Amino acid sequence: MRLRCSHLGVSFASLQGLVCALSDLSFETREREFLAFVGPSGCGKTSLLRVLAGAVAPIEGEVERIPSAADRNQDVLLVSQEHSLFPWMTVMENAAFGCEMQRVPRREREGRARELLHRLGFASREHSYPHELSLGMKQRVAVARCFLSDPAVMLMDEPFAALDCQTRLLLQQELLDLWEQSHKTVVFVTHDVEEAILLSDRILVLSRQPGHVVAQFSVQFPRPRATAVTMTEDFLFLKKRVAGALGMKKVDEAEVTAAREVSWRG
Amino acid sequence: MARLRRAFLETWLPIGILITWQVLASRRLLNALFFPAPSVLLSSGWEMLKSGELAVQVGATLSRMLVGSGIGMLGGLTCGLLMGAVGSVQRSLEPIVSALNSTPKLALLPMLMLFVGVGETARIVPIALTCFIVLAMHGLDAVRSVNRAYVELARNYGADRRAMLRRVYLPASLPQVFTGLRLALGRALVLTVSVELVSSTNGIGSMIWMAWQTFSTDKLYIGVFTAAVLGVVFHNGLQWLETRLIPWGNRAGRA
Repeated sequence: MRLRCSHLGVSFASLQGLVCALSDLSFETREREFLAFVGPSGCGKTSLLRVLAGAVAPIEGEVERIPSAADRNQDVLLVSQEHSLFPWMTVMENAAFGCEMQRVPRREREGRARELLHRLGFASREHSYPHELSLGMKQRVAVARCFLSDPAVMLMDEPFAALDCQTRLLLQQELLDLWEQSHKTVVFVTHDVEEAILLSDRILVLSRQPGHVVAQFSVQFPRPRATAVTMTEDFLFLKKRVAGALGMKKVDEAEVTAAREVSWRG
Repeated sequence: MARLRRAFLETWLPIGILITWQVLASRRLLNALFFPAPSVLLSSGWEMLKSGELAVQVGATLSRMLVGSGIGMLGGLTCGLLMGAVGSVQRSLEPIVSALNSTPKLALLPMLMLFVGVGETARIVPIALTCFIVLAMHGLDAVRSVNRAYVELARNYGADRRAMLRRVYLPASLPQVFTGLRLALGRALVLTVSVELVSSTNGIGSMIWMAWQTFSTDKLYIGVFTAAVLGVVFHNGLQWLETRLIPWGNRAGRA
């Protein structure tokens, strides 16, 4: 499935009145692409994903879901940063929840979930409850649940933002491995430039609120990738450019325009 | 060591009081009519237990309490969940429920006897009403405080109405419902004994009243003690059940 957004505008009510989170945001995902959005905190990244997931309606523009024959279903599933697991379900039940909603018989869905959970290091903890798990373990289960449901599009809202550096690296590698086996369309939102480059095929840079796309980079490091790629000089070079477009260092208009045209070869 | 210390801290005061009491009573420093020695209470309690008298009274109190609270809790829970789920039901019923909440239910007894006659029904209705109100309020609060994030999560995965109820609303509100149950049973016991004190020929409350009227102080003490034990049993029993039924911990899943 592809998602095509045209001239999206999203606002939400807050104590200060109506806040315009996104304005005139247009983009289209490519088939089976890992697309990353980077933007400063509060640029409407979460709002964007909620709109893409269909949880809220945009006030302007529209989201088009263009189905493709290769998808098993038309689900667009979101992995969020917080409250990503049901506290009253065990690791196993949480991981198999998507399949449960798709009415996969219990034995089959638990078999599938068990296999993936074992790979992710949950051999003896399938029957634990989320409050017994570390944050990293919780996010693993959330990602596993998403992959087990085999959706047409996966949306990820900074799923690793709250993790410590080492756990994040580990989970990024696991996500890379999982994704490279399935090549699902992913829209991944983050404020971490390094994470965006490591994981994605293409990066869209969002401006401050109200967010809209200010730059685009294509990331062409060969796959399968490993986290070691972050140590290379090419990686650093791209990171500088993306950070520049983000406004992390002062850049003049011309440089941003130049960045927009960069198609980077690794 | 820490466990030992805890056990000591929890028991030294009642045990100390009992020993002092026993010593004072056996030296006749206390009036035996007002303060029968613990050993005397123990032996007459044992007598009542053996003769089956205590069992009959406790049985009467329990059956009254369980019938009343069973009806009340079932109705109250249904009402509370309905109020939580349907806005118009909530707006229609909440004023009555909160008004009834602050009415002393025992005060309704004479009125009820006027309506339905002096009988078991008049005694059970206040008990049922108390439980109804506690569960209605906790049920409503339970549904309302379900974290929206989980509702959205389930919806994202395509949960239908049934799945949403069974997999999200029900488990998410269970801890709060349990708090309601515990509170309701505690109040039901208090109310049952109170009702029996004023208008009954059997049950712990009536036993206490009879003991007072016939000046058999040992029965007075035994009655009060039995009521206290029942309260503890219900409280701990429900707590035990709660840890079995809600293994994910108490406050999780709420907003």
